[in-house]
Amino acid sequence: MGHPKDRSGLTRRQLLNRGAGAALAVGGAGLLAGCENTTEPIGASAAGPAGEAGKLVVPKPVGPGGLPLPRPDNAVTWAITPENQPISDGRPLEKGPLNVYNYADYLDPATLKKFQKETGASVRIATYNSADEAIAKLAAGAVAFDVIVGLTGSNIVNLIAQKLLQPLNHSYLPNLPKNVWPQLQDPFYDRGSRYTVPYVVWMDGIGWRNDKLEQDIAAMDVPWDIFWHSQPYRGLVGVLDDKRDALSMPMQRDAMRTGIRPDLNTEDAALVSHAGEELSQLNGICNVKVTITDYQTLPEGKTVLHHAWSGDLLSGAFYYMPKGVKPDVLSFWGPDSNGVVQNDFLCVGKAAKNPVLAHHFLNFMLDDRNAYDNFVNFVGYTPPQNAIDAEALIGQGLIPRSLARAVVRPDQFAANQELLQLSVEGERHWDDAWSKFKAG
Amino acid sequence: MGSRWTWRFLALPGVAWLGVFFLVAFYAVLCVAFGNQDTLSQPVPFWNPLDWNVGYVLDVLSNFRHGGQFLTVSIRTLEFVAIAMALSLAIGYPVAYFAARHSGRWKGLVLVLLIVPFWINYLMRMLAWINLLSANGWGTRILHDLGIEQLFIWTGLLSTRGGWLDGQPSAVIIAFVYGYVPFLILPLFAALDRIDQRHIEAARDLGASPFSAFLRVTLPLSVPGILAGCVLVALPMFGDYYTPDLVSASTKTTLIGNQIDQFTRQGSEKVTGAVLTMLLALVLLLLMFYYLRTTRRAAQEAGA
Repeated sequence: MGHPKDRSGLTRRQLLNRGAGAALAVGGAGLLAGCENTTEPIGASAAGPAGEAGKLVVPKPVGPGGLPLPRPDNAVTWAITPENQPISDGRPLEKGPLNVYNYADYLDPATLKKFQKETGASVRIATYNSADEAIAKLAAGAVAFDVIVGLTGSNIVNLIAQKLLQPLNHSYLPNLPKNVWPQLQDPFYDRGSRYTVPYVVWMDGIGWRNDKLEQDIAAMDVPWDIFWHSQPYRGLVGVLDDKRDALSMPMQRDAMRTGIRPDLNTEDAALVSHAGEELSQLNGICNVKVTITDYQTLPEGKTVLHHAWSGDLLSGAFYYMPKGVKPDVLSFWGPDSNGVVQNDFLCVGKAAKNPVLAHHFLNFMLDDRNAYDNFVNFVGYTPPQNAIDAEALIGQGLIPRSLARAVVRPDQFAANQELLQLSVEGERHWDDAWSKFKAG
Repeated sequence: MGSRWTWRFLALPGVAWLGVFFLVAFYAVLCVAFGNQDTLSQPVPFWNPLDWNVGYVLDVLSNFRHGGQFLTVSIRTLEFVAIAMALSLAIGYPVAYFAARHSGRWKGLVLVLLIVPFWINYLMRMLAWINLLSANGWGTRILHDLGIEQLFIWTGLLSTRGGWLDGQPSAVIIAFVYGYVPFLILPLFAALDRIDQRHIEAARDLGASPFSAFLRVTLPLSVPGILAGCVLVALPMFGDYYTPDLVSASTKTTLIGNQIDQFTRQGSEKVTGAVLTMLLALVLLLLMFYYLRTTRRAAQEAGA
């Protein structure tokens, strides 16, 4: 059977090849694809086992230029190629200024000031609005960024394929082994942390106003069910405006009911479309809103129940409480397992003009004191540091007890799943389901 | 002779501007819509029309044919725009009529007042509504006190008291009318202001009642203004996606612009986004042709 897009005399495969050809011309991924990227377990090689053996394995989806898509059961070590080597040991700091590429309001200005004091180099921040935009601009190469903040496991393959990152020299990063969760020192998406170090982590969960909702959501058998019982809060309920996060939510609900671990990176069209249909039920139940402004609407009471990123609730509690409303009216619950966690990177740009200073900045942000300050004074997203402890933060009165679960724990991070880059085909299934859901 | 060349020369920057930023840009959209995407999910435009791949276009068309989500949002967009346009006209015509014919020496002031909304950014005006229409907002209270809220609840246009921002189609339409009505009033004012007073006097002298004179003389003569105003408000409404996002964010108010936004900015299906952009542009082009034909005919009739 032909695919509807197989038209105009060219087959879809030919078209994709043409597309890939164009990508190679742009990103030069071909060189990398042919290089020594090593992947570990069974059936993990990009092309899969050859010949007869190939028939015995379901092929894994592949990324750009045939690069492997990292998964927890398919860890990837990205090659260090001859023309893109890490800097040598013991080099002196450059004068700067350090060019940082980041989401808006995603680094504490006071922490940055401290860095400037320490190094004498000023920091210049340029911001982007979406990972797509960031990668497109990095690929265009208009500005040589030293440090790139905020991209995730769902972007790593694109970053490697387009050769946008510089490999790291760990002799400049003593804080990585010293302070960071062991599970993120050698992550499956970048074995050996060759190109990335973790900045902050977060999880998907439920944010709600405990003064407006009677239910104790955290105590429910399947807390996600609250969305399907939200008739009384019609018009005041929201899900995250992000196709991967939102469609994963009904998948997690099903998993909690059946006890079967879901694959939140599935490329099975039927599973994804089923999730979309379940999500669509919320249109009738509560006229669900699709937004990412929960950090503001929950504190203001314009929504009372929202599918939320953990950090949103903390930044909401830090900054968006209206006069006379105490932050302890906000509650957050996130699953202990089978849910969504995500991890933002700190990377050094391939064309960095100040690579030593950039490494220094990475190490500075991995310092336990700086990571802590950046977290509690500004960002609200948990740094994956051994020293961070929700109980201690509550004890110090920094966060209300009702938001203890918005601080991601290492065991939670390990038992939940990261949303990772999909193949082009897989991505299409998610886009289709999302477009159907959003059409109402 | 010399003056003709001067004018051609002066028109050059504008023509070049349109050429580069409209024709070339639109051709690029076509090449993406009839192109493909690479393994980075980035669009690969096919610049040579002979290479064009119709797969994505046929895919979107088949979605329409089978009553898929694109049909749903397109019909919804048409409904919203039609209602908002009719309301804008109902509100805008009397205002323009008054300003043109009855404001007398206050005409200048009235004109300034009509332009004032343009001083404030559209987005700002929409954000203001969010506070006005929130559950405890001033707007909500006034609408309640005036009984308008009750009227909306009776007619099923509002589901709960104070729930204007709960994801209501009516809120999006009201925001559209509020945001775009000045664009309708101004061309209408110009058209009504241009009508030769003597035509109406003649009608009255020949025994027409004021209403009949309006219906048979003023209204037909203002048709080009009505059409120009409607085109000016309809075109941006068709592509609008931030108004429904701001005042509703419900899936019930997703318009075609939201779907294009989703595919091009948030999704990995930029080619599908380009196809939708192209189809929307084609529909708008048809409307434009209708407008041009009607105004030309009206001009000919006026000339005759």
